[in-house]
Amino acid sequence: MPPRISSSRLSQPQTCQCFRTRPCEPPSSRQFHASARHEVTHLRRDMYAWLKGPGKVFRKPLRGSTNYLSAYDKQGNLFRAKKDDRGTRNRDEVKEVAENEETASRRDLEDESLTDEDRSARAEQREVARNTRTAEDEETEARGGVPKERTTDMRPYPLNHMFRSQPVLSEELREQLYIQVAVNEYDLASVAASFGVDIRRVAAAVRLKTIEKQWEAEGKPLAKPYSTAILAMLPTTPFKPDTNKSITPHEPINDLPVHPHTRQQIFYPASESRQFTREDAAKVFSSKLLPADKRIPLPMLVDLEKWKLEGLDRQQRTERQVAKDTEAREEAEEQARKRAEWEKRTQRVVKGRRWDFKFQDISVDKVGKDGRGNEAVGYRYGMPHVDRKRGVVKIPTSVA
Amino acid sequence: MARKRFHGLKRPRIRQDFSKETLYNLSRLITPGAANRTFFQQKWTAKSMARAYHNPYVREGQWTRMFDRRLPAVVSMSHQYLAKYDGSEMALGRGMGLEKDARQREETLRGEGPDGLEDYDVSSQVLRKRDGRVEKTPYMHMTFHPLERRLDTAIWRALFSSSTKQARQFVVHGWVKVNGKKMVYPGYQLNPGDMFSVDPERVMFATGARKSKKGSPVSDQEAEDRRMERNAAKSNAAARNSEVEEGLEEVDEDEDSDAGAATLESDEDREAMTTRPEDEQDARKAMKNLVLRAKRILEDSKRKLSGKRQQELRSFAQSVRKTMAKHRPSSDPTSVPESAEGGVADFETALAEIMTKIPSDSIPTQSTSAAQSDATAAASSNPQMQQPEKTDEYNAAKDAALLSQALDRARENPIDVSKPYATPWQPRAFMSAFAFIPRYLEVNQNVCSAVYLRHPVARPGLAEVPTPFGGEVMGLAFNWYLRRR
Repeated sequence: MPPRISSSRLSQPQTCQCFRTRPCEPPSSRQFHASARHEVTHLRRDMYAWLKGPGKVFRKPLRGSTNYLSAYDKQGNLFRAKKDDRGTRNRDEVKEVAENEETASRRDLEDESLTDEDRSARAEQREVARNTRTAEDEETEARGGVPKERTTDMRPYPLNHMFRSQPVLSEELREQLYIQVAVNEYDLASVAASFGVDIRRVAAAVRLKTIEKQWEAEGKPLAKPYSTAILAMLPTTPFKPDTNKSITPHEPINDLPVHPHTRQQIFYPASESRQFTREDAAKVFSSKLLPADKRIPLPMLVDLEKWKLEGLDRQQRTERQVAKDTEAREEAEEQARKRAEWEKRTQRVVKGRRWDFKFQDISVDKVGKDGRGNEAVGYRYGMPHVDRKRGVVKIPTSVA
Repeated sequence: MARKRFHGLKRPRIRQDFSKETLYNLSRLITPGAANRTFFQQKWTAKSMARAYHNPYVREGQWTRMFDRRLPAVVSMSHQYLAKYDGSEMALGRGMGLEKDARQREETLRGEGPDGLEDYDVSSQVLRKRDGRVEKTPYMHMTFHPLERRLDTAIWRALFSSSTKQARQFVVHGWVKVNGKKMVYPGYQLNPGDMFSVDPERVMFATGARKSKKGSPVSDQEAEDRRMERNAAKSNAAARNSEVEEGLEEVDEDEDSDAGAATLESDEDREAMTTRPEDEQDARKAMKNLVLRAKRILEDSKRKLSGKRQQELRSFAQSVRKTMAKHRPSSDPTSVPESAEGGVADFETALAEIMTKIPSDSIPTQSTSAAQSDATAAASSNPQMQQPEKTDEYNAAKDAALLSQALDRARENPIDVSKPYATPWQPRAFMSAFAFIPRYLEVNQNVCSAVYLRHPVARPGLAEVPTPFGGEVMGLAFNWYLRRR
């Protein structure tokens, strides 16, 4: 009878199906103790061999760049360092920009067709181009001549193609956001739109920056070395004020959440001649569902774009926007006023030594039929407490 | 029964930490084959792999209660598109013969997408890959999204600890605050807008290199490197000896040629130049040494500086940094010995003097970028062509800036034996391979605080829950946790 297990499988004992076993050379001389521990030490030896060989590059961060697994091949060489053709491609541009300022300005002066304004504009352009170039040079130098990371180099987990390390806000950009919001007092939405940063992120960055400033004022030590080291390891969204492209959009700002109602597939017959818009589609999914235009975080941008398409000039657009803003503000004020009025009407405030006591009439009927009404107040008789029950989460659900 | 190894190599698991074992296991991770295995077996393997990574401290029963089959996703909309079309153009062509075939679709308008992505089909509002296929939303990668809401996981994701286990410990030990209040439950579910902050000292300890010995600030990594170097040096000492001698001769010659700048006036001076100040144990002596050196620079700055002198200056700046770091006890500024304080003061007066010697218009300051760009412009245009005084001024200014920068850096990152981590602080080994911050967190590293902006979401071509496994494994794991398996 032939053996059940093929001999090839017998030679290599399987440890785990989900991990690659490294090819190993047979040991040159026989080990003195050939015991059961041998297998384990062999694995560990493999690990250290990898850590000293291809894995050595991960020990320290790569200068001016990220340092993820997928950026290297199996021998521990950078993929992007292998084929570098970018250096040769834009050498001509570099030459052009490198032309001396003096000669360029002299040429401009000789050119009779230019006015003074033109000349100054041209000089400014050259200035910006020069700044851009110096910034680029500095960046390349900081990386030690290694080309910039590609999108495929940004995967910390090589098997997961759907996850990549995305840039974080750089220190300069954080500072700029803080200045725009806290010092210049622009509203969050317009800062978010102009910098291409999510509105919630703008708010959070400003909040954190405020704390940082507070610590500085108090003389509390900041974790500066940690911060610089971490930001050097991460991809960052830069902010370079004096260059061609001063603002780099950080992330998509108009994210539309996939509403659970829209996950179903609906067969909805409509006549061909009908103008079936997004609004109608939303109605089909659910009678209360709003269209995408109104569910995005910054619907203001859509309005602005619409006015632009209508052919309104800049001034008219600004006027309209101002009008809209005023309207919104008035509405908010009206609501606040109503709320205050309601409180004045219904609540009686008794000033205490430390606390103010507020009294308000309530209705016992609010508990509803089952006595568990959402709006109800007070202790409900006959209702068992669940706060000590097994399996019920006892930790706080929110911190004010 | 002996406890199983957390970082085993025989039955390896990927864990949420920055360890070398995890990195090694990641490098050899493959998607398990499905051949010869039942569906149940495949699912079992997948879920055990995934759960070993995604917070195994959460008990299985607890996790199954948290599991939700409805996975969150977003689609990023372009406001230009929303303004231009009302959506009715999507219905066009179904019955009117307007439908495009695949090749035509390739050629359709490809504009800049909302994320700055190139392959964005503006006309149909979808992301496309290079081959024209639509990017799908990786829903399966979001299987473990409820666990990302936990405080301990979020701390690790914000790079405030070296592992989730450590993050958990920080929370339990009371080093973590949520919205300014102490929170001791690692399982606290963060709400959008919650700010959590960890004690900076803990963060520096968790992510910094470890000490080699209790009484020394040197990191274990550095100590090992030094040992290796020493061994290497021993092995070929004989071969190197002759080379070194040759090198010394060269140096001597150079010094002779540079005599105008570098003649040493007195014995004291010579001693100051030969002993490295960072090796000096006595703070007072070291400071004196430094001041002497600074004065020498002052004299030199009047003359034209050669390349060699510049090199020397640079090394001097480095030694300043090291010395300042060594003799500055950062834990308690009041306990500074007076001698050291005087040394620093002396040194700073010397520095101020250097600054006064330099015309104020040529000093590059960090705050004004204009001045800095001036300096760089001067550097890029040939310095030899300009007048010698001007170059000299420029060099002096550069040195002064270098010095003050070095001083600042030393103040921020001092050598301090009393710290539980190696000083000056540096990131721990293998950290860079794991360093990423997912988009649902906004972190400020300076104050070691972060804001949980929103729940993680999936979007076309991208899932925000970081997981080391591919789509197949995650899909199988998701299937395992569906009610009927």
